Amino acid sequence: MKKCLSLVVIFYSLLFANCKNKTAQPHQKKMAIVVSTLNNPWFVFLAETAAAKAKALGYDAKVFDSQNNTSLESDHFENIIVSGFDAILFNSTDANGSVANVLKAKVAGIPVFCMDREINSPDAATSQILSDSYSGAVSIAKYFTQQLEKKGNYVEILGIVGDNNTWARSKGFHSVVDNYPNLKMVAQQSADFDRNKALEVMESILQAHPDIDAVFCGNDGMAMGAYQALVSAGKAQKVKVYGFDGAEDVITSISENKVAATGMQFPKVMAETAAIFADEYVKGKRDFPKKIPVAVELVTAKNINDYTAYGKK
Amino acid sequence: MTVANLKYSKSLSKFQSLIALLILCIVLSILTDKFFTAENGLNVLRQIAVNICISVGMTLVVLTAGIDLSVGSVLALCSAVTAGLLKNGIEIPAGNLWIGFTLLGAVLAGLLLGFLLGCFNGFAITKFNVPPFVATLAMLTIARGFTMLYTKGHPISNLGDSFAFIGTGWLFGIPVPVYIAAVVVLVAVFITQKTKIGRYIYAIGGNEQAAKLSGINIKKVKITVYAIAGALAALGGVIVASRLDSAQPNAGISYELDAIAAVVIGGTSLSGGKGSVWGTVMGAIIIGVLNNGLVLLNVSPFWQQVVKGSVILLAVIIDKAGESKD
Repeated sequence: MKKCLSLVVIFYSLLFANCKNKTAQPHQKKMAIVVSTLNNPWFVFLAETAAAKAKALGYDAKVFDSQNNTSLESDHFENIIVSGFDAILFNSTDANGSVANVLKAKVAGIPVFCMDREINSPDAATSQILSDSYSGAVSIAKYFTQQLEKKGNYVEILGIVGDNNTWARSKGFHSVVDNYPNLKMVAQQSADFDRNKALEVMESILQAHPDIDAVFCGNDGMAMGAYQALVSAGKAQKVKVYGFDGAEDVITSISENKVAATGMQFPKVMAETAAIFADEYVKGKRDFPKKIPVAVELVTAKNINDYTAYGKK
Repeated sequence: MTVANLKYSKSLSKFQSLIALLILCIVLSILTDKFFTAENGLNVLRQIAVNICISVGMTLVVLTAGIDLSVGSVLALCSAVTAGLLKNGIEIPAGNLWIGFTLLGAVLAGLLLGFLLGCFNGFAITKFNVPPFVATLAMLTIARGFTMLYTKGHPISNLGDSFAFIGTGWLFGIPVPVYIAAVVVLVAVFITQKTKIGRYIYAIGGNEQAAKLSGINIKKVKITVYAIAGALAALGGVIVASRLDSAQPNAGISYELDAIAAVVIGGTSLSGGKGSVWGTVMGAIIIGVLNNGLVLLNVSPFWQQVVKGSVILLAVIIDKAGESKD
């Protein structure tokens, strides 16, 4: 009897769900947000903002996490194409590897808008809204050389060594700093964009090079890890720490004069622009700029009051 | 072979990983004068404290011929919950209620959560006969998912000075995490060598059927072992969060591999029944010294991975060579 009753309930609830779908939302448009990883607060923020903006524009939004894996990303694209999404807001796992995925969507007639990370194809994506990591690192490097008065020993902590952003930042930084022969890099190590790894790597580096003047880190998480190591070694006052991203912890630390500077990226601007473009595309607009570089701004103790985590106040 | 001889060769194989460690230290001391200093020694010990906590738990599991792949995710979830309780407490919107946590309360809650997640692993393995590899693989994903849900993907930072003492404090010239790891090791050595459950752990790993026939409650022992592994992973999580003054949602990724490496380098057999906690401690120190030494020498990050893998392989080959002589 009980079984029978529950079957009836299930049946009715199915019926009810069906009715609701058909009547209430006949032509609900939807956007897919595909991000390289959700294991990093910066990308979580990018995905959340894109989803929020898409919802605000009247779309259903679904976030797909590629877990830094281009083949998983490929699966996501296939599922997205099959389930009939209207647009893809896309943060790629790999500049070259992701091109094929974007082309698949293009063939299926779904526009792709790249956020933050570039893909190496002139016309696969409808538009690319990109963070200019290289010139961001250049402006950090200029401030860096100025603060160190063009001389001293420094350490560089790299992100994941297989990642495009790691090298865009490192190359931008060295394009300036390498012009000053008295600025000497005593160690260059990777900490995989990870706070704990940066802490451990920095502790070991401090054993080998106790008398350094500055640390340049490929992201803010690592900058916080390096700073923690300097605190426990009693060197936080002497050694200047530079980060990249504009994450909450570092913004707070800059205002407390603990971290020297960071490069503020604007995930909110990028995510919202991509969502607005996608909306315009759905409404019929076809003429978009192929690339929009979003400048990375230098944040220091001097202008910290203009900024908050991941953007301007 | 006389009894004395047998004892001698047994204790020699026990010291194999110690010998490997000594060779490694001597080589590093020759290559850089920064390596063999008291400060760097403490530095390495502090860095490996977390891996020691995890890999001691892993040793108990591996001795029963099991494996626990979930430790990294359990570490992340427990560190996030500890940090979250400490910072924000629990809010119950229904009764407009807010429960705050003291430092001790938050840490104990984190450890308890690790213990329960471990129990769950053990329960799935013993009650439903899920192979340990699969059960803990599932927990690896589930616990990471809950970590993301609990933190919404953002780190929980600024946890206060008293909490920071656990990971960054010093007592009598030695970092606090080193004391924690030492207590964990001593308790585990006592359990494995002096207690009934210790003998049961070895018996189950040696021959589960025989252990069962001799009346050992296999389910109870296994659940206990996974629960301990979970609680120790949680303890590692508390130390990590305290050291960073922040619980990171992506903490502990691939820590299970470091722990398994420490267990294996330390000479514990993955098929169970053979090995020791001391061996694992040696294994963890070898990994820590290697990580530290490669950075001191400023070896390229690309080469570091190759070197680390090769050393693991070499250590096990030496260990196996010693074993076959018996």
